[in-house]
Amino acid sequence: MSDLSGGFRRNSAIVLAFVVAGVLFLFGSIYAVDFASVAHIRTILITASFTGFVGVGQTLCMLTGGIDLSIPSVLAGAALVTANLANGVTSRLTWVIPLVLVAGILVGLLNGLGVAYAGVPPIIMTLGMSGAIQGLLLIYTNGGFASSPPESIVNFVTGDTVGIPNVVLVWAVISAVTIIGLSWAVFGRKLYAVGTNPVAAFLAGINVRRILLVPYAVSGLTAALAGVLLLGFYGQAFTDMGNDFLFSSAIAVAVGGASILGGRGHYVGTIAGAIVLTLITADLDVLSLGTAAVDIAYGIILIAAVYFGGRKLGRRRVAS
Amino acid sequence: MSGPDIVTAPSLDYPTGTPPNEASPRRPHSISSARRAQANLQLLMPYVYVFVLTVAILILDPRLLVGPGALGAFFSLVAPLAFVAFGQTLALLTRGVDLSVGGVISLVTALLATHLNAKGPLIGLEVLAVIAIGVIIGWLNGLMIVLTGMQPFIVTLATWSIADGIAFAVLPIEGGTVSPTLINALSGAILGIPKSVLIVVGLFGLWFVVRRTRFIRDIVAIGSDESRSNLLGVPVRRQKVRAYIACAALAALAGIYLTVQAQSGSPDAGDQFILNSIAAVVLGGASIFGGKGSAASSIVGAIAFLLIPDLVFALGLTSYWSIFFQGFILIVAVTFNSAVQSRARTT
Repeated sequence: MSDLSGGFRRNSAIVLAFVVAGVLFLFGSIYAVDFASVAHIRTILITASFTGFVGVGQTLCMLTGGIDLSIPSVLAGAALVTANLANGVTSRLTWVIPLVLVAGILVGLLNGLGVAYAGVPPIIMTLGMSGAIQGLLLIYTNGGFASSPPESIVNFVTGDTVGIPNVVLVWAVISAVTIIGLSWAVFGRKLYAVGTNPVAAFLAGINVRRILLVPYAVSGLTAALAGVLLLGFYGQAFTDMGNDFLFSSAIAVAVGGASILGGRGHYVGTIAGAIVLTLITADLDVLSLGTAAVDIAYGIILIAAVYFGGRKLGRRRVAS
Repeated sequence: MSGPDIVTAPSLDYPTGTPPNEASPRRPHSISSARRAQANLQLLMPYVYVFVLTVAILILDPRLLVGPGALGAFFSLVAPLAFVAFGQTLALLTRGVDLSVGGVISLVTALLATHLNAKGPLIGLEVLAVIAIGVIIGWLNGLMIVLTGMQPFIVTLATWSIADGIAFAVLPIEGGTVSPTLINALSGAILGIPKSVLIVVGLFGLWFVVRRTRFIRDIVAIGSDESRSNLLGVPVRRQKVRAYIACAALAALAGIYLTVQAQSGSPDAGDQFILNSIAAVVLGGASIFGGKGSAASSIVGAIAFLLIPDLVFALGLTSYWSIFFQGFILIVAVTFNSAVQSRARTT
């Protein structure tokens, strides 16, 4: 375990995020009788896993100092295209799902090309991409709504294997792959190097641009995956279905202790961040506070997490 | 190692806030006259876009622009975006960005359609109150950015979420009623010229009045080279806070106009203005790396951006295509802009 790079072990923010999750859970349990019931814990984990999926891509993007704002559109696009192409027929999923995931990667690659090769600020590149995809989806679906996905996908998403929800199992597998990729693979080392100091990484012989492509491609993939699974979860697809994930993915990463400046953070923190966000929503729900309170809480938490995360970094500051 | 000179790698320009190798090419005094000519050319491009789009629309379906009331109707769409684009230009000039304009606009429309819709002169005070809300949000943005060193997009992403939340609490769904006094004050025409046209022309002219002021010259200097500006005695923090205050206040004005135009409020009325305002500024030829831009060009960029739906309509396509083209054009313009900028910075 001594080999973990980029501040997973050193980052007390990740530990703090898990502690906060514990406190939030205790708070909910004291307030509401069935908060700690197995059924509710299952709901919390399933809800958190969707943020966890898109959080993979967002973590990688933010590790390089970027951000992916096209996640909501890619997510909704994957769900809409899957629902439309499969048209309720289960056997079609064998080619529709791979197709959709590849399309997600391609969209991510376009973002990455703009960021890495043309030097476009990630925020503007992915915002523009998001708009373009929204338009295409509206044209494609003629209004942006699709219902009746194949039964099998609904059954898979709402089903269990050995008592654990399938979605949570998928999340566990993806988390394992991400953690291995970041901590033990050469790619992870290079990503942290680029995120910490691109000039030093360049001088060390890393192809900075090629490494910068990866986070956006991965983000396209994980957003598309989240879209396919969310289609099964909701039983329908619509253009706004991904909107909540714009904030939640970025905030989950920030709460998990990652530095917005890049180079510091880990997916382990994002896992904690996704659970914290879900618990906050659940706690506000227990207190009978709705969407408005969630939006306000998200904003405050984002600022607090980035501020305290930034202070731990010492003196590294942004020019702007 | 085979590879370009370090400074020429554009990927090094963005990833970590501070470009690690802030070498001399970006310093204002070293800009060659050739490059300044290129910069001015970029600021003239939006006029070309508007001309080309207008000609295309006039050929395909002239009624869209020259029919009775068409011009006033078109400019009533331009006016709110012109306000936001003016403000967003200021934020981009400092090398920042303001995403909270979406939240400010939503909050303003929600308030003006519910609690602040008095008939008669009292509405004047209420309008001042919503402008004050914009000023406060902008002040908070600016303060957090200069005091904590957090990136503008994170700070304004957060305040966007907070303002959206408050807007949603005030008015959960589109609706409400708007003060008839306010509607009368902002709609119609003066001497036959629609007020929307006068507002846009006024904002356009305002830039030429303010661009020589200390404030604008300072934020241009800050966006060009912040540490150098600091050394030269520019009050960096104060001017950056002012830029965000101005941006949010202009967003509040956009919200006021939008409420009148829609004659209702909506908790997500403002969200589209984030992409649209950045697109207008980029089409207007401002540098996304700060230090170069013109609010007047951004307003012309806004006009070009909003001519796109008309062209889509004239071509007989469904309106969904305009959403695609507006996003697509932002990507193309920004990629072109970045490529030119990074070349300019390294030659």
